[in-house]
Amino acid sequence: MIKEVITVILLVVGCFFFLAGTLGVLRFPDLFSRLHALTKADNLGLGFIAAGMALHIASPWAALKIFSIWLFTLLASSTSCYLIARFQREQEQSKNKKERG
Amino acid sequence: MSVLIDSILAILAVYLALQCLLAPRLTQTVFIFFAFGLALALAWVRLGAVDVAITEAAIASGFLGVLFLDALRDFSFTAPNKRENLEAVHDPLSRNDTKSLLLPRLALWLGLGLFLLIALEAVWKIPDGGGLTAAAEALLPESGVEHPVTAVLLNFRAYDTWLEIGVILLGLLAIFAVGGIKLYRKPGVAADDPLLRQVILFFTPVLFLFGAFLLYFGKTGPGGAFQAAVLWGAIGILLHLGGRPVFSVIPRWLGQLLLTVGLVFFLVLGFLLMAGGGALFEYPPAHAGVLILIVETLAAISIAAALTAIFANLNQMKKEEPNEIESTN
Amino acid sequence: METYQIYSLTSAVLFVIGIGGVFASRHFIKKIIATIIMGGGVFLCFVSFAERDALSFADPVPHALVITGIVVAVASAAFALALARRIYQLTGEESFTNDK
Repeated sequence: MIKEVITVILLVVGCFFFLAGTLGVLRFPDLFSRLHALTKADNLGLGFIAAGMALHIASPWAALKIFSIWLFTLLASSTSCYLIARFQREQEQSKNKKERG
Repeated sequence: MSVLIDSILAILAVYLALQCLLAPRLTQTVFIFFAFGLALALAWVRLGAVDVAITEAAIASGFLGVLFLDALRDFSFTAPNKRENLEAVHDPLSRNDTKSLLLPRLALWLGLGLFLLIALEAVWKIPDGGGLTAAAEALLPESGVEHPVTAVLLNFRAYDTWLEIGVILLGLLAIFAVGGIKLYRKPGVAADDPLLRQVILFFTPVLFLFGAFLLYFGKTGPGGAFQAAVLWGAIGILLHLGGRPVFSVIPRWLGQLLLTVGLVFFLVLGFLLMAGGGALFEYPPAHAGVLILIVETLAAISIAAALTAIFANLNQMKKEEPNEIESTN
Repeated sequence: METYQIYSLTSAVLFVIGIGGVFASRHFIKKIIATIIMGGGVFLCFVSFAERDALSFADPVPHALVITGIVVAVASAAFALALARRIYQLTGEESFTNDK
């Protein structure tokens, strides 16, 4: 019983962070803050949901698999976030150069 | 409760499909297409088809989405001004030339509405034939694997799977015919970014291991050659994006071997089994498990190589290289 | 309403959306995506009837056919994309136009 309550709480908290991240993507003004909302909030939400699912399944191997999924998602999303931000910054810099020169 | 979830998912899929086609900008179309693929994958999980869900998420949404994204760089980033002109003049949703197009458009919508009604009725009234579940269940012990979908794919209907590997190879050859072979170009500059390089170095063994796990796990559960092949193909794509195109690094004969080994081994095995007195792809039940695992591994290698080659070839079709085009013709 | 009925009706709708997209959209990429959506409708129909015929597991034959079908659809879409990019490379056109 207590386990189920904790699972539900974790899932709800995870969904809340996903909602916040989505709201940020839709509402924030520029690309960098949007990326910030997407990667930070959504990864946290995914972490909570993964913890909830691991608790629900309650098997050490499955928990390990779920944890590694979360870890790889973290790695992939932070790298792609960095790459997108770098691309945007290069675009802006070349644009500025054109405008100056 | 379950009807509610399914209905929401169904409405979401239809909404995303509509949005995908109605979105004004091409980038939106492609990103909604990713979301549509994921919604379909969820629908397949709801229908108990986990294998199909993995394949959809990996190939139809992932791999194809990557190809579209790559094409976007050509289509919308290089010529933004031209694009806007095109949209204004030729977009069917802008009402510039309404009069000349009114009749065909009306006919199209009427026809679509009629077709929708017919399709809904056909799907609603489809007769109950009982399906092949019982037959598959009865023969499962002889197939050499425990997962019914893998048994159908690689034993009961192995002919289909063999031809499918052929179709992928054929697609690659057709792409070569369209754009010229650009696989064997010298490797470009390695990824200049240290973070990207490290991440690619980290993900290559992980993806390989995960692919091998899926391949072996296909014997008992959802997974198998195609899912593993996409993961291994993702390695090739990552390395290509990191400036180390696989097909330029390995010798030419090895590339050709990798592309064809699955198809050829499958065929040779089929003929050997025929020579042994059985039908084409009729595995002896005692050795079926081992044979299926070997066939699956080689097929996965071939499909992964073909996917990598398709991506590498499409990635190098850029507009900015007129000299390149002339030299390949 | 059974689960499979929801999805089989959805499949008909998706197929029609795809056909409409093939006719009504101009850009090559949109046309290709429309064909993929059509294919998605057909696959959804197959899998929903596999769910209807389930005994201890869902009918595996449609599942296998759909996996095969997805890969073939992706191969043909990649070929279509190559054709589209080649046309763009040679003429600069992004859609079929009747101007010339």
